[in-house]
Amino acid sequence: MFQRIGFYRRCAQLLTLLAIFIIPLLNLYEITFVKGTFYSMDIGDVALADPLAVFQAMFTSRTISLIMLASMVVPVFLVVLFGRVWCSWFCPYYLFTEAVAWGRSRLSVFGIKPFTGRYREGSTSRQNIIRYLVLGVGLLLAGIAGIPLLNLVSAPGIISSQALILVKFRTVSFELVFILFILVLEFFFFKYWCRLFCPTGSFLSLFQGRRGLKVKKIELECRSCHTCIRSCPMQINPMTEGDNPMCHNCGICIDACPDNHKQPTLGFRFR
Amino acid sequence: MGFVEALRQRLNQNPFKGFFRLNRLRPPGAVAEDHFMELCIRCSRCIEICPYDSIRRADIYASLQIGTPYIYAEDKACYLCMKCPPVCPTGALDTSLRKGEEVAIGKAVIDQDLCLNYLYVKEEESGKVTGMATICNTCFNACPLRDKAIVMEKFLLPVITEECVGCGICVEKCPTQPRRAVNVVPTGMIDEKSSGYYYRRNRVRQSQPEGDRGAVSGEELLERKEQISTFGETPQFKSDFSTDGSMEGWE
Repeated sequence: MFQRIGFYRRCAQLLTLLAIFIIPLLNLYEITFVKGTFYSMDIGDVALADPLAVFQAMFTSRTISLIMLASMVVPVFLVVLFGRVWCSWFCPYYLFTEAVAWGRSRLSVFGIKPFTGRYREGSTSRQNIIRYLVLGVGLLLAGIAGIPLLNLVSAPGIISSQALILVKFRTVSFELVFILFILVLEFFFFKYWCRLFCPTGSFLSLFQGRRGLKVKKIELECRSCHTCIRSCPMQINPMTEGDNPMCHNCGICIDACPDNHKQPTLGFRFR
Repeated sequence: MGFVEALRQRLNQNPFKGFFRLNRLRPPGAVAEDHFMELCIRCSRCIEICPYDSIRRADIYASLQIGTPYIYAEDKACYLCMKCPPVCPTGALDTSLRKGEEVAIGKAVIDQDLCLNYLYVKEEESGKVTGMATICNTCFNACPLRDKAIVMEKFLLPVITEECVGCGICVEKCPTQPRRAVNVVPTGMIDEKSSGYYYRRNRVRQSQPEGDRGAVSGEELLERKEQISTFGETPQFKSDFSTDGSMEGWE
């Protein structure tokens, strides 16, 4: 049980990071079974797309096409079934933020403290308000400008398309500067982008219902050590708020829980 | 309704939607520019699929167009393989387009002051040898719609017809440097009304008078006019209408 979820999650993240370089490389050799970036991707004949990107395109152009709706089906279905696993298990930007947090924890010799969770009563709903507000204002601006503006700040899409042009043209474009900029800030503000700003993550949260894969406290009694709260990257309380839209099912709290050694106390359950 | 319509007009005429430049083209099958900017989610899939590496991802120089696909015809033109329209996930490129002849990226325009063949004919007619002119025919030979999009008038002068799809191969191959004798005008740029802010701004800059007339103005022009005296040689004036240059009874 111990650290098992973390291992699988890291494998999935690294494979995704590898895939954003491998897919364009295979396309160079005309193997086009999988093609595209994290804005939009084809696996075989199945079209997948970032629901926010497609929604913005429909919103700004005031048209609804069947192709666009069809490409939203699989991602939305995954969110309904497994929650926001995209963010914690696959998003390359999330992997980078974890690397930055790990790097900070190595620097304790210089007097820099590693990040710890700052959960307080009511902070979860405050975070939710901020991120939905950011999403709403972003969509409003996109409507005013008449272009899918939020795609300019969609970290996973930018990273994968930068990887594509790096493989194909051996250059990168200015968007990478934006990614590096928000990554540098990650060193000072713990996972602020994923928690408060990322429009893609907020939009995926809209499809998280009461059902699906949730973190749940199975045993009524635990030793109340609050290790899970301190470990939570989204700064929520995993014991009570497993069904909150903030939770992205990373499983860090489950790995961290010391009671899980003896008997399952905190775990993933389908509701 | 009037207010809503006016607001929509105002919002649609924003500077982010009409950003045209010569020889910078959208991929084949692209819908009208303002609609394209609404639909394009910058997913780079047309860039990925292009086997000629023609389509590039726009960089910061393109302001809010950053991330959208462009073909820079001077570097690498579109070879009309038609692989990109079907992969577009939002229909910013017309996904049903299959034939290269139906593409309408733009229209090529030949600059007759730079085209080597036109220079050749001019030299032959005037009898003045500058050493610049030669018979070239590169655009005609490179054109994928040869004898349809480019026809040779008198077997010598290339003329672009309405069949031109604007792929830009003639621009890529044109040997004149640094400015090409043939340029592709992107589709939206031809239509003045929908062509947007940048086009209009460029046009104002271009429409300044050229040659001697525009070289001086204001105080300087007045000074030069004051220097004209009635003695000595008669100064030569350039004008855009013809005069017969003589008067009865004058010596």
